[in-house]
Amino acid sequence: MVRLITHNLLACHAKGCTSNNFPLQFKDIQVELREAEFNSDFLRGFLPRIEWAALVDASRQLGDTSLPAEQPEMLDDDFLQKLHHVLLEIHVEEGAMICPNCHHVYPISNGIPNMLLAEHEIG
Amino acid sequence: MPPATAVKAVSVSDDPQVYEDEHVHGVYDEIAPHFSSTRYKPWPIIAQFLDSIPAGWVGLDSGTGNGKYLPLPLERPGSVWTIGLDRSRSLLEIARTAGGSHREVAWGDVLGRPWRPGAFDYAISIATIHHLSTHARRKAAVQRLLECISPSHGRALIYVWAIEQDELSKRTIPCDSSEQAPASQEKNTPLAGQDVFVPWVLSPQNQPKAPSKRKHEFRNKGADGEEQQVSSTGATEPPSTKIFNRYYHMFAQGELPDLVCEAARDLGLAVGNPKEHVDAARGIEVVQDGWERSNYYIELRRWEYQ
Repeated sequence: MVRLITHNLLACHAKGCTSNNFPLQFKDIQVELREAEFNSDFLRGFLPRIEWAALVDASRQLGDTSLPAEQPEMLDDDFLQKLHHVLLEIHVEEGAMICPNCHHVYPISNGIPNMLLAEHEIG
Repeated sequence: MPPATAVKAVSVSDDPQVYEDEHVHGVYDEIAPHFSSTRYKPWPIIAQFLDSIPAGWVGLDSGTGNGKYLPLPLERPGSVWTIGLDRSRSLLEIARTAGGSHREVAWGDVLGRPWRPGAFDYAISIATIHHLSTHARRKAAVQRLLECISPSHGRALIYVWAIEQDELSKRTIPCDSSEQAPASQEKNTPLAGQDVFVPWVLSPQNQPKAPSKRKHEFRNKGADGEEQQVSSTGATEPPSTKIFNRYYHMFAQGELPDLVCEAARDLGLAVGNPKEHVDAARGIEVVQDGWERSNYYIELRRWEYQ
């Protein structure tokens, strides 16, 4: 599955690509929405380690504009619900992720991102 | 002649990547459903480790196989997220819904680094590093784990197969080869594990009816040898019992902690309690290590001075 929780952790690792290699950009994607169980303990704990700008940008690429550009100071239930939806309920099923630096293409098929590199691409 | 299903000592030849494609990845893609049906019970120390992870942490299961650890801890679902990485696409198709709900998985190699450095709070590597066929590659796999967890609080747990097998194990290990370190061995020489083939027997009733998708699985690496190796019966013949030899490096006593410490030092990390290394900026501490049910394990945590 590529949900935005995972997208926020992935970076390009092609040979020589060590800067500006995050976040990967979505391309030609198909998305499915699936409900996931809400867990506010998880969200509050994970929030400080999210790359926030990357998450907001990625969510907009997926057509969700609910997150504010800056992390709010007050973590009310309304915000946590939006964050939950963005991180855990939008599944990218098909498409690709492109490195912003070297333009390496990581395909997504049946919800599984292909992060393998060919022999000559391994750094 | 030992039976075809006995564990055999082997010596690794060829390019290690090609060798592992044939004797590890190719096999798991073939046996995935049957293998998965035999792997459902979490081992206690791994379950305890995952129970101890605080809410909000995100981890990597590097070599997740069928994803049996992704749903843990069962008592508080959704309080942590473990993301599964594996080299076998067939096993990932099982892992993606492990435990009956949708998991996060990625298709990749444990020697890759497709993550922001330090992005994870914890990492587990269960029964995976022993499938790498050289010391250098096993060390690199440990280094990838150390690099992907937080330098300030990251925790990791590694399990590998041991030469020392318990009485519950069904395997008999040949004792005629390199696992016995010579008595004269110097203290500083690396501990020698043993390279073996462990057979997986796939009887006709456990084989898929439809032709497998194995051609598709290997296109990325272009490694064709294993396809001929494992598909010699052909799709049109009636199924017969197939035996797949999986490569394992069985670890000697003390080899796993040595490997982890060497991997850490080569990354410039101190090894030990941070109080004993006030001159070092970053390091790892071994929390516990031992032997359980035919496996060696080691748990460690990273530390740094702010």
